[in-house]
Amino acid sequence: MTRITIPVGPQHPLLKEPLSVRLTAEGERVVEAAMRIGYVHRGIERLTEERSYVQNLHLLERVCGICSHVHTTTYCQGVEALLELDVPPRGLMLRTLLCELERIHSHLLWLGVLAENIGYTTIFMYSWRDREIVLDVMENLSGGRIAHAVNVIGGVRIDLEPEQVDAIRRRLDQLQEQVDDLRDVVEHESTLRARTKGVGGASLEQVRRHCAVGPLARAAGLDRDVRRDAPYAAYDRLSFEVVTEAGGDVWAATRVRVLEVFESLSLCHQILDNLPSGEVSTRAPRRVPEGEIVSRAEAPRGEVVYYIRSDGSDKPARIKIRTPTLPALSLVREQLRDINIADVPPVISGIDLCIACADR
Amino acid sequence: METKALLEAFREACPGHSFDAHAMPVDETVIEVPAACLEDVVDALRSTFSVYHLSTITGQDRGTQLELLYHFWHGQGITLQVTLPREDPCVPTLTGAIPGADFYEREVGEMLGVTFEGHPGPQHLLLPEDWESEPPLRKQRPAEEGDT
Repeated sequence: MTRITIPVGPQHPLLKEPLSVRLTAEGERVVEAAMRIGYVHRGIERLTEERSYVQNLHLLERVCGICSHVHTTTYCQGVEALLELDVPPRGLMLRTLLCELERIHSHLLWLGVLAENIGYTTIFMYSWRDREIVLDVMENLSGGRIAHAVNVIGGVRIDLEPEQVDAIRRRLDQLQEQVDDLRDVVEHESTLRARTKGVGGASLEQVRRHCAVGPLARAAGLDRDVRRDAPYAAYDRLSFEVVTEAGGDVWAATRVRVLEVFESLSLCHQILDNLPSGEVSTRAPRRVPEGEIVSRAEAPRGEVVYYIRSDGSDKPARIKIRTPTLPALSLVREQLRDINIADVPPVISGIDLCIACADR
Repeated sequence: METKALLEAFREACPGHSFDAHAMPVDETVIEVPAACLEDVVDALRSTFSVYHLSTITGQDRGTQLELLYHFWHGQGITLQVTLPREDPCVPTLTGAIPGADFYEREVGEMLGVTFEGHPGPQHLLLPEDWESEPPLRKQRPAEEGDT
């Protein structure tokens, strides 16, 4: 059969960010997919070398427009370890609270994008309506819906009054009810199942070979989560289940993310119930002693890795950032193989792309 | 996983070469690996210790030489440190055993000018196809017209 090449992107209505996918198709079957990224490469790694550790907080928060807080978390805990700084427990708890609120926001946003891409606009509307609740909570906490500027080296810059804690609890209870309904639809609605089940599957072996992380890897049965396997921030004081599925298809990835929202809600409640008293931050010196460190955290899309090297000055000598989308893009080339062209949108949105993250 | 066991397995996988270890904070073991041994060492890491996950590859210019850091992770971190000369730096690709290394190697390749021998598609990852200047993460780039 004649092969045709279909270019999708870098500017395309399906994509929210610039990515170029070249699909080679035989009839309606995709036989090969090639990727090209770099259209929003901003040179952030190089830019960090020109800025002080404090200035870099604001730069690194802008690596990602969805999971901004986890980037500063990973960065701060790395710098804090180089400084041998003890962050007060209340500061760590509040940092963790934001991490989990951000995960809820990211997963609900993703569910909306998937729903829109499979033509299920009702779910798109509902999940983005519910996401507003968690955005409101984050805005009340930090003043920002997306860029929170909550982390500082040595802790956080926000604190919670008791009445704020109660207000957040009430909002989260309301969110829990609404997400319960969403889960019901996701699990029982035949349209969603028909468009996602068995679509874009990945085996455990494929996930391993492409070093995929996060919900994408857990959807294929890889039981790994940085929060549990190498606890950071306050995760060693909290309990939660790592959600895994089998098959790695879009259906499994959807279930993992929806169920993770409930785990995150439970984590938020645990944090609000057990907030230690005391300071939220400790003073950090401007200069960081010579040394190097690898810092990891579990972003909504999976493991984020920062390598930080200090030469003893007030500016880092090297910062390397690896975001979860990069290995996901490696894996999706295999997931796109031998599927129907109509299934390309759910498979591409199923990996929860963040191109700005991957490009940096 | 003990550093001692790792070093023993690496010496067995690649006899005649020396391996040195040191530690970074937060459970990260760093082992210096000669470029020629990289593939054997990664094989040993995968088969003997079941460490499959390559988090990323950091490339950096250390002035007199280039340094690649292969960050593996298995609940705790293992970083393989490979140093390369600034002139004509070359290292074998890992894409055979770990296809996920593809993007990481292409990025290090274009940013520092490192050649990954045997890489199936060494095109640019982030830089434009027609990029002809020095690799951007190399230090002491000669001054060009228009530089401030």
